Amino acid sequence: MASASSLSTSSRSAAAPAAAAPSFRQRRWVRMAAPLVLALVLAVLPLVLPEFANETIARIGVFAVAVLGLNVVMGYTGQVSLGQIFFLGVGAYVTAYGVQNDWNIVLVFVLACLIPAVAGLIVALAAARLGGLAIAMVTVALPIVGVPLAKRLSEFTGGSQGLSARFADNPEWTGLYDDQWQLYIVLVIGGIVFLLTRYLVRGKYGRAFAIVKGNENVASSMGISPYRYKVLAFTIASLIGGVSGFLYMLVVQYTSPETMSFGHSIELLAAMVIGGAGSIVGSILGGAWYVLVPQLTNAVDASLTALLQGAVLLLVLFVLPGGLASLPRALTRGRRRSGADRGVGAPPTTPSSTAGSGTAAEGSERERQGPA
Amino acid sequence: MAAELTLQDVSLQFGGIKVLQEVSFTVEPGQIFGLVGPNGAGKTSLFNCISGHYKPTSGVVRIDGAEVQGARPATLAGHGLARTFQHPALQLHETVLENVLLGAHSRLPGGALEWAVRTPRTRRAEKELRAEALELLERNDLGWAAHLPADELSHGLHKGVELCRALLMKPKLLLLDEPAAGLPHTEVETLIATVRRLRAEDDITVVIVEHHMGLIAALTDRVVVLDHGAKLMEGSAAEAQSDPRVIEAYIGKDAADDAA
Repeated sequence: MASASSLSTSSRSAAAPAAAAPSFRQRRWVRMAAPLVLALVLAVLPLVLPEFANETIARIGVFAVAVLGLNVVMGYTGQVSLGQIFFLGVGAYVTAYGVQNDWNIVLVFVLACLIPAVAGLIVALAAARLGGLAIAMVTVALPIVGVPLAKRLSEFTGGSQGLSARFADNPEWTGLYDDQWQLYIVLVIGGIVFLLTRYLVRGKYGRAFAIVKGNENVASSMGISPYRYKVLAFTIASLIGGVSGFLYMLVVQYTSPETMSFGHSIELLAAMVIGGAGSIVGSILGGAWYVLVPQLTNAVDASLTALLQGAVLLLVLFVLPGGLASLPRALTRGRRRSGADRGVGAPPTTPSSTAGSGTAAEGSERERQGPA
Repeated sequence: MAAELTLQDVSLQFGGIKVLQEVSFTVEPGQIFGLVGPNGAGKTSLFNCISGHYKPTSGVVRIDGAEVQGARPATLAGHGLARTFQHPALQLHETVLENVLLGAHSRLPGGALEWAVRTPRTRRAEKELRAEALELLERNDLGWAAHLPADELSHGLHKGVELCRALLMKPKLLLLDEPAAGLPHTEVETLIATVRRLRAEDDITVVIVEHHMGLIAALTDRVVVLDHGAKLMEGSAAEAQSDPRVIEAYIGKDAADDAA
């Protein structure tokens, strides 16, 4: 058994160049088909699921978008933000206020994006000048200031009572139930936000964000101003937070100062880490974690929620720093490592592997040097 | 298109400590210029004054006549300056190609919105620069590694990748910070060949900070020797190696006397 597996791994590494072509094409096939299948499933799902499931998925969508925004600034750009929930709250309040005053819903949506974005821009212009932990401190202030502010500005926010607003009731012609219609809207808007963010975090801006996170000295010598890119990432995160606030109002239909409490902001952050920092899929998993875990644990015992959150957060940080999204990669990497260990005798496949082999120890050493 | 670099009375002071004292020299366009000196002579500080990571306390730094002292590194990149680091700082979990593509940043057009919706312009530019990066890796014998994660490569190869990243910026002036540090002998030979080819093929000025006298002797047209933050001498590498003041600075006065 053991010899068979070692044989297969060594033959795989030897035949790697030949095998690469068909497997790549295969992967591209999958890549082309996967989004179509996914879109189809998402289009059919709301029609067949019960109302409760639709509502839950819609809420997952809301918080997945919020986590995605947090990921842009924190996961991808490495700037600790503890205030993401504030932008969700602002988006929700803007939406509620606009709907109550019968503004055009498109205008409401645009404002629910722009107002948090501008607020985020202003905060970031000041905060990004400060180093590391100071940014975190400034963002802590947002929900802490936000809650009493929402209570005070009662003519806009309804004070402690909060605001409720119903909109986007499903139009007659669709023949859909409300929960189905709402889920479709969440899927479409959330889907667009996810797609745009996915494009953004690849290519020019993705690389720039990543190097600002990785090494600011290198970033600036590449012509990337760390300050400008931190501000940009923070502003985008706030904008996406605003979108999630709009969706929150759509699904929950009620917001109060409690919506943007500091505790929720921390839970959002924990959800991001558990789902996977710097990962698109991780954002969805994070949203699911944020919504589902309290639902499940509350069914057993309400006090269990915080305990479980904390325990799982620690576990993820220690065992799986890349979050749940990195689980498949961690597994394949581990398998490849152990395979490589067994196949030491195999001839190197690369021209300079005299230098290339045995880099595991060296790599970790350099990893430590990196941020210095 | 190679740039001219001029330093005029550059001084740097941290509190009461004088790190650099009125250092002046000119690097002609297309030259390979060495910055040498014993440990603590202020080579890296001077290097950082040129690259924008330090602001000189006084003095003038010019690139092609434009005063750039105190400008931020990100601005200097726009003046055609690129640099490598003593410890190559790569994104270890990204592929080699992605690491090199970072150098293309300033050459890629379009704002965040354009990249989020993937306009044809951004897609075309990304595709073109990707091809250029691959070609650059190929020319530096790193083509085979393009799609490997950077952490699977050795220290020496990291230096090569970092050089490719800097070259993708199409710099007019390239600063190399101790490129031979930590390299085994054979890889130093490769490095020398690479920089020679650079000079032959690209129109570029190169400034090298280095301890490795073999590399300096093999490559540079001219060197400046620093000692205790001041310019000790300027001339060819051979002149520097036979200059008694330089020998003294490197091995101490008594030892130099003994040797004589």
